[in-house]
Amino acid sequence: MSGGIARGRLAEERKAWRKNHPHGFVAKPETLADGSVNLMIWHCTIPGKQGTDWEGGYFPLTLHFSEDYPSKPPKCKFSPGFFHPNVYPSGTVCLSILNEDTGWRPAITVKQILVGIQDLLDQPNPADPAQTDGYQLFIQDPVEYKRRVRQQSKQYPALV
Amino acid sequence: MADSHLQAVKGAKVLMVGAGGIGCELLKTLALSGFEDIHVIDMDTIEVSNLNRQFLFRQSHVGQSKAKVARDAVLKFKPHINIKPYHANVKSPEFNVEFFKQFSVVLNGLDNLDARRHVNRLCLAAQVPLVESGTTGYLGQVTVHVKGKTECYECQPKPTPKSYPVCTITSTPSKFVHCVVWAKDLLFAKLFGDKSQDNDLNIRPSDDGNTSKNPEDVFERSSDENAEKYGRRIHDHVFGYNIELALANDETWKNRKKPRPIYIKDVLPDKSLQRNGHLENCTSEDMPISTMPTLGLKNPQDIWSLVENAEVFLESLRLFIEKRDKDIGNLIFDKDDQLAVEFVTAAANIRASSFGIPLHSLFEAKGIAGNIVHAVATTNAIIAGLIVIEAIKILQCDFHNCRMSYCLEHPSRKMLLMPVEPFEANKSCYVCSEQILLLEINTWTTKLRDFVEKIVRNKLGMNLPIVMHGANLIYEDGDDIEEDIATNYTRNLDKVLAELPSQVTNGTVLTVEDLQQELTCNINIKHREEFDEEKHPDGMVLSGWSGHLNDNKVASNRENDISSAPSAAADAENPDGPDVVPKNLILGAREKYQRWKNLPTPQKIRPRNRTRRIRKILIKLMTATAATTMTMT
Repeated sequence: MSGGIARGRLAEERKAWRKNHPHGFVAKPETLADGSVNLMIWHCTIPGKQGTDWEGGYFPLTLHFSEDYPSKPPKCKFSPGFFHPNVYPSGTVCLSILNEDTGWRPAITVKQILVGIQDLLDQPNPADPAQTDGYQLFIQDPVEYKRRVRQQSKQYPALV
Repeated sequence: MADSHLQAVKGAKVLMVGAGGIGCELLKTLALSGFEDIHVIDMDTIEVSNLNRQFLFRQSHVGQSKAKVARDAVLKFKPHINIKPYHANVKSPEFNVEFFKQFSVVLNGLDNLDARRHVNRLCLAAQVPLVESGTTGYLGQVTVHVKGKTECYECQPKPTPKSYPVCTITSTPSKFVHCVVWAKDLLFAKLFGDKSQDNDLNIRPSDDGNTSKNPEDVFERSSDENAEKYGRRIHDHVFGYNIELALANDETWKNRKKPRPIYIKDVLPDKSLQRNGHLENCTSEDMPISTMPTLGLKNPQDIWSLVENAEVFLESLRLFIEKRDKDIGNLIFDKDDQLAVEFVTAAANIRASSFGIPLHSLFEAKGIAGNIVHAVATTNAIIAGLIVIEAIKILQCDFHNCRMSYCLEHPSRKMLLMPVEPFEANKSCYVCSEQILLLEINTWTTKLRDFVEKIVRNKLGMNLPIVMHGANLIYEDGDDIEEDIATNYTRNLDKVLAELPSQVTNGTVLTVEDLQQELTCNINIKHREEFDEEKHPDGMVLSGWSGHLNDNKVASNRENDISSAPSAAADAENPDGPDVVPKNLILGAREKYQRWKNLPTPQKIRPRNRTRRIRKILIKLMTATAATTMTMT
């Protein structure tokens, strides 16, 4: 009986995604070893934008929804150690639309979240750094920053 | 008490959920009002901090089941009634829809949102009226939820306990609570908690320049480092070095006040702490480990100076290392852990000082860190009384006189109690607007495939069905399904219901939707083994039953209810009843809305503006009643 509002909304999100989603993106509920499929956790893939240093990378991201969704945003995580100025060492993404106090609105869809994070990849926000590594290279050494981004994009090739 | 009251009360079988602050008062009031058959569920055991207001409990009961002790205590002054205690979680599967159906009314005295939602849904599914309650300090409320007559508990969004974004906590705190969350969830967890947990305390994956050193090593204590030295180093790392680093990001501070790094040598120049003798040696075994007596801090309501906070910080860290070494690595912050509260208070205050945020006392910090709401026994007693009054009205079927009552801190028109007529159901409420069907089926022999084909496709007419159990997807159909998930579903189709990954058994509620149709149904599963082969060759009986208690007030906007079904209860008891869902029962949400919109306005609908205004006031008043009610000792 769990998850009335969150469950209902996630079922809607799943339906909307199945009907239509942006090319190259993946978003699907988690399948556990016992064969159950859990709507509260989604495994996603965000493709790097064409024409940017992120191109060619297909970056895995996990969305963790709580019972309070959509009043509260999901927690969005890349793999730990993901290189980006606005991603914490744990992989948690720091983005205004994912912040309950600033940009989050219950109407924001999974699609908008994923596209928002795709935009963030190539347009980091230096006002809210979440890791030193990515931030300092971004500010101080653009050449090395570019190299690291390209290197990371190669680490996440398309899964075929 | 009038005869009619007495009769209604005597014959009633009631379920109380929660035997805590409200529960103790409620059980006593029910017993003294003449109720004779009361069931009580509570998963908690009695704690010392309960004793000031949960008056059925005594010191000697600490550690025992609340439900059981409450029963024994009440039976002492009311020996000949039946009270059945359950020391269990109301969310456990034994308390399913069937269980709830045996009661005339359910009375909630709960302390958390999650359990309240759960009971609300079970009451809706079982069609049992619910009297819901909550208190916070002087404030309290009692609300009545009857399916088909009033809104359900979840028709209106409830204020949820606030959570804070990582960025605010790690980088830009602006309120004391941010500092407390940082001290508790990041620093405390980093130093004393499970090392394998994610922790964003340090935002540096590599330590600038000194690349050979793993950043996590900063928090490791080397063997030749004593507790004092370690404490000073940690202090300077988190309150000094980390702040300096943050200051280097000019952009962050363009529109914010810059924090000030704090180094221990500036606060406590002495190499070692000056202690007044070794008081810790004379503390007895039972006394909790604390820094306060040693440091001469007596009153938990005093606000410590920065120096005192630094002393508490170092001293509590030292005591953890020296006295509670075995706890380190698996500690979780606990508001009843004195040393943990002292550490968190000191760390939060030092951080607050750094960011120019006013400092707070241990008492206040403990309240914030432990989400403590101070409970007032009198409010609980008043609320319990109101619950019983509403319960009696429900038992007499006097629904028109049911009221939601709010207990206020300051009188409004010279009154502390504010009665309000119950609101109508929110038509787009996810929880109670959905139709509930009953399916009798042998869950041990019927495969998911049969359920999907014979019920979902044939009876409900769905095309691309989606079958869910809570937040678990059991089946979806469509060409677009991801391969791995589709494999699972194929496997599921050949399993019997009771052996699915998320078991479907007696009392399970399944949600069935269709990818394209605007249609959602909840199906309440009832396990049944014997079927009349001629009447039900499929071995399944589907009956439509809905929140349709014979009252014309709500019938007016529920035209799509099955008019032929006499009542829910009768339907449920009559398995041979109609097993074809009338078409109008399974209208989609949009159609339902359209139909409702086209109806002439029912006279009973109250002006929305007025109710909205009242609701706004009430929500303002009651923002916190969903929170945990606990008290400080």
